[in-house]
Amino acid sequence: MADTPRKPLRSPSKKPKQTSSSSISLTPQTPQAVDPPRRSSRRLSLKLDQITTPQKPISQLEKPNKDSLVEELETPHKLVKDSSRTRRNSRKNESTKNPESKTDYESANTPKSRTKVVEVEVSFSPASPDQLETKKRKRREDKDRKVITRAMASKNAKSEQKSNKKRVYYKKVVYDGGEFEVGDDVYVKRREDASSDDDLPEVEECRVCFKAGKAVMVECDDCLGGFHLKCLKPPLKEVPEGDWICGFCKARKLGMEVELPTPAKGKRRARTLREKLLSSDLWAAHIESTWKEMDGSYWFKGRWYMIPEETTAGRQPHNLRRELYRTNDFADIEMESIIRHCFVLNPKEYAKASNAGDDVFLCEYEYDIHWHTFKRLAEIDNEEEDGEDADSDEDWISSKDAESGTDEDIEYENENVKNLCARTSSAHGLAANSRKGQFFGLQKIGTKRIPEHVRCHKKTELEKAKATLLLAILPKSLPCRNKEMEEITAFIKGAICDDQCLGRCLYVHGVPGTGKTMSVLAVMRNLRYEVDAGSIQPYCFVEVNGLKLASPENIYRVIYEALSGNRVSWKKALHLLNERFSNGKKVARGDDRPCILLIDELDLLVTRNQSVLYNILDWPTKPHSKLIVIGIANTMDLPEKLLPRISSRMGIQRLCFGPYNYQQLQEIISSRLKGIDAFEKQAIEFASRKVAAISGDARRALEICRRAAEIADYCLKKSSSNLDSTPAGKGLVGMSEVEAAIQEMFQAPHIQVMKNCSKLSKIFLTAMVYELYKTGMSDTTFEKLAITVSCLCTSNGEAFPGWDTLLKVGCMLGESRIILCEPGARHRLQKLQLNFPSDDVAFALKGNKDLPWLAKYL
Amino acid sequence: MGFQSQVEKAKNLLRTRLCNPNFIIKPLSDSPDSNYCKLKFTISSSITEACNNSILLVGPRGSGKIAVLELALNDLLQEYPDTISLIRLNGLLHSDENCAFKEIAKQLCLEHHLLFSKMGKQRLLYSLLDAMNTVTSQAVVIGVSCRLDVDQLLEKRIRSRFSHRKLLFLPPSKEDVQRLLEHVFSLPTDSSFPHDYAAQFNGKLQNLLADDRFKEIISSYLDLNSTINHLVRFLFIVVSLWESKSGFLSLENFKSALSSIQRQPKQECIKDCSILELYILVCMKRLEVKEQNSYNFNSVMKEYRSVHDSFQTSDYYAWDVCLRSFERLIQRELICFTDNRAHGQSVEFRPVKLLVSYVELQGGLKSYRSCPIILQKLMDH
Repeated sequence: MADTPRKPLRSPSKKPKQTSSSSISLTPQTPQAVDPPRRSSRRLSLKLDQITTPQKPISQLEKPNKDSLVEELETPHKLVKDSSRTRRNSRKNESTKNPESKTDYESANTPKSRTKVVEVEVSFSPASPDQLETKKRKRREDKDRKVITRAMASKNAKSEQKSNKKRVYYKKVVYDGGEFEVGDDVYVKRREDASSDDDLPEVEECRVCFKAGKAVMVECDDCLGGFHLKCLKPPLKEVPEGDWICGFCKARKLGMEVELPTPAKGKRRARTLREKLLSSDLWAAHIESTWKEMDGSYWFKGRWYMIPEETTAGRQPHNLRRELYRTNDFADIEMESIIRHCFVLNPKEYAKASNAGDDVFLCEYEYDIHWHTFKRLAEIDNEEEDGEDADSDEDWISSKDAESGTDEDIEYENENVKNLCARTSSAHGLAANSRKGQFFGLQKIGTKRIPEHVRCHKKTELEKAKATLLLAILPKSLPCRNKEMEEITAFIKGAICDDQCLGRCLYVHGVPGTGKTMSVLAVMRNLRYEVDAGSIQPYCFVEVNGLKLASPENIYRVIYEALSGNRVSWKKALHLLNERFSNGKKVARGDDRPCILLIDELDLLVTRNQSVLYNILDWPTKPHSKLIVIGIANTMDLPEKLLPRISSRMGIQRLCFGPYNYQQLQEIISSRLKGIDAFEKQAIEFASRKVAAISGDARRALEICRRAAEIADYCLKKSSSNLDSTPAGKGLVGMSEVEAAIQEMFQAPHIQVMKNCSKLSKIFLTAMVYELYKTGMSDTTFEKLAITVSCLCTSNGEAFPGWDTLLKVGCMLGESRIILCEPGARHRLQKLQLNFPSDDVAFALKGNKDLPWLAKYL
Repeated sequence: MGFQSQVEKAKNLLRTRLCNPNFIIKPLSDSPDSNYCKLKFTISSSITEACNNSILLVGPRGSGKIAVLELALNDLLQEYPDTISLIRLNGLLHSDENCAFKEIAKQLCLEHHLLFSKMGKQRLLYSLLDAMNTVTSQAVVIGVSCRLDVDQLLEKRIRSRFSHRKLLFLPPSKEDVQRLLEHVFSLPTDSSFPHDYAAQFNGKLQNLLADDRFKEIISSYLDLNSTINHLVRFLFIVVSLWESKSGFLSLENFKSALSSIQRQPKQECIKDCSILELYILVCMKRLEVKEQNSYNFNSVMKEYRSVHDSFQTSDYYAWDVCLRSFERLIQRELICFTDNRAHGQSVEFRPVKLLVSYVELQGGLKSYRSCPIILQKLMDH
């Protein structure tokens, strides 16, 4: 069975720690403890429910702590009768009966038993239920504090990450008898002071008779308690269809005092993992990736789940009992702290889940721990991967580095892990990791596979330049918008820091690519640190993009969903939002904190009667709304175009993002290229001057530089592959490459097409120009043109191709929009017009070698 | 193996080649300046360097945009078999945004390439390009269009997010055409054909390619439209006209193919008209010359009667017969109604216009076998 001896794999890094901490407790090993303590043995014995395994004492699997021991003390010895738990209970029995032997045993196996001894001693003091209650409450406070530490810890993750590069990633790990795959959901022990070391019953007990047994149980949809069918009054024959609520809950709802049946004296009801999770004594996490550290310990990157109570909104009426929220909070967790699998399903799967074990949960939303908003999972997964990384401090390159440690052969082997280095230490204060809590920022490891050769070969300067010029990369610094960002910061701070938090509205405008959205988001990011530091009161932040809404009215839905995690129709959402903002009715716990609403592409929300904009902009004026609206759009005079009652609400405070001038563009590009020797200085200046003269669009300037780098890279690689020689020159991007990129981007291709089109098309175009000069009218008909063409042809010795052929030529030119024309069915009545200035045609056709006579007519 | 079957086999081979765009495009894609190389480099570097790109392929219809793209994508799919997934959208098929989104969802995997012809609605492009500007997604959007001003059609916000890679597809040069002809028509000299036949065939082909008359035929054909697709269509007709009796391609095949493709359907349509229909057309022309811009069947009939009264022609038909031939002319699109509203008004009152030019009508009358002389006279005055 699982007790087959496995060779303990002690990690080298752990050893010194162990020896040092166990220096005091070097007591001789008890004869019972033959095997190293392992969870696998317990797991198997749990499964072998009916077989009574020899009751040999086994050490505790997880650290006991004060709380848990208090609870343990409460748990009566009668539990031994429960067959499913024989082994552990027997151990407990023994330990309580014979504390000396336990301590001996403990000390032999666990290095940190010194603390344990103390704990055991503590646990002998009689515990009253009241005490337990207070402890629990404390724990919750603990928890709240911890959320903050989690977030803070993720900040210094980057430096640590670099140190441990030699990781071996696995897709599936068999760890202590349980198989854990990437994508699984697991229960995770909380830190040691939580009562994670309690019994871990797999089988739930009946709430009435407190026995598990094989008899069918029915679950109350309200309190999730299980009841044997026969224990109910009146007893049920079969599991009822639809919702079923137990008698206790029914009575409670009617306002009666309910006394739940208490277990027989001395026997305490065992809590299942589910109950613990929902009372936040445990955590659940989603495995994102698993790996082995250098020292041989196994870790996984977990994505936390949260129970509704842990969100700022608290448990809301629409939350289901088994509902969890996925968060955007990641942590590296040691495998050791996994308790076992749980199953977090999306609503569709949940509805179908027929086997309904006790460890099934429902998850529909992702909860943003920074902004306290909700996002539906289906939206994140199915559509484009939205940029939730936007607020990550890690930039892309470093996260790629982290991946570069992955084994070359990504055939994920199943590896049987014989792991001993086992004990969670009680030394640290964060999650249940045995190391110092290592938290990592928001990365998307595993979203894609980067081909191997990228990792192998070292990037050239040009490739680095290309990567850093990507629009997607969030630059480390945002130059040239300091003034605007200060203004936004001042606006938000001014709005939030007042105690009453008056609602306000800011209108940001500017042409595309001038950094409007980026600046606002950067300000929000900076403010987040201040919130974390406590200098600003917490607020929630909702971001909506007008162009991504199916219809303007849907904005209510999106806002409400982001604030509450509940999906309703837009009319209902409008009603609820009105209640909240206009009438000042605060329903949920987090409702009284200020809310910042960022609406990108505001002009898309303009409906015919402009009611959507009016509603949204009306809320901030209400006394208790605590709503701050930041609207972003391109046009400067949007407020003036709107109804006066809207512009009076929106147009008061404005911020203009002017187009960048060439110095600013130059600074933006150079700041990105800092430390990369790929561009000549004049080349950057040339590109920025060109863009500044045309649009002042930073995106365009970056794209030109990237394209220029691409062209240079292309030339370099082609020449080296063709001639099989080392590339000549330094591979700097110079003026010529930038020139080529600008040409490609700004010059319409029509001149080139005209130069290279067929002979008849050239004659056709010449005739168009000739006709234009002759009549002075911009448009002509096909009949007139055909006559002109035939004149031109006969006087210059060309064969006239025939009317129908000519019609075809004209239609082809129309297809590529060199000329504008009506459908060809109109034949001689077809109207024609040049789409480009006649000078362009003249320029393109004048020097033609095949048809030199064309120049006469141009 | 008989001679005939060899010829049949050669014919089949040539036809197969002409129907395979990859084969046609290949010889034009080996130089580093070719669009194929540039496109492949851009896509593969965005895959290997994990960046996002959007590329626009622009060029006249039939210039081989899709063929080059397919060739590049096929190569890349073989190079990176499990990193690329391809999503194809077509502006004509997925004109509705929701429909396009559904199609994307259907075809989506983790990484994706998008290929869609014809720029669709702007919201779709905005979401696509905006998503591409975030770190978490990786995609290459490839747009294909024959309109040269596609990027001007984009809304300003979308244009700002578009990365403006543009590849222009131009017709092949004369040397390229020559190379292409040789590539398409020469038989392989390996064991698939008897050696002497293949050698003889290729020798005759070389003579043909060097022939000035041949060059003239090709260039006069390409005068009309010099795109690759257009040329291939011509070559297919040539192969079809190649008779098995003569074992080799001849200049005659090319000549007859040219004359069969350079036809003037409108003028030929006049040849098929009846005498009465010719009368109607001529009367309409006379009305137009009289600067009656708007006329209908009744006014045409008045003119017809006056012509008949003044010249006493032998071809006078009853009103309803004339109406029937008038309707036939409308069906053949030699004449058309000038108003688009067709509610209820009967044919004889709706204004009409002539759809053949006077020159074509005159040419048609001249080549008409038994055209009454009076008609020609009426045409002139």
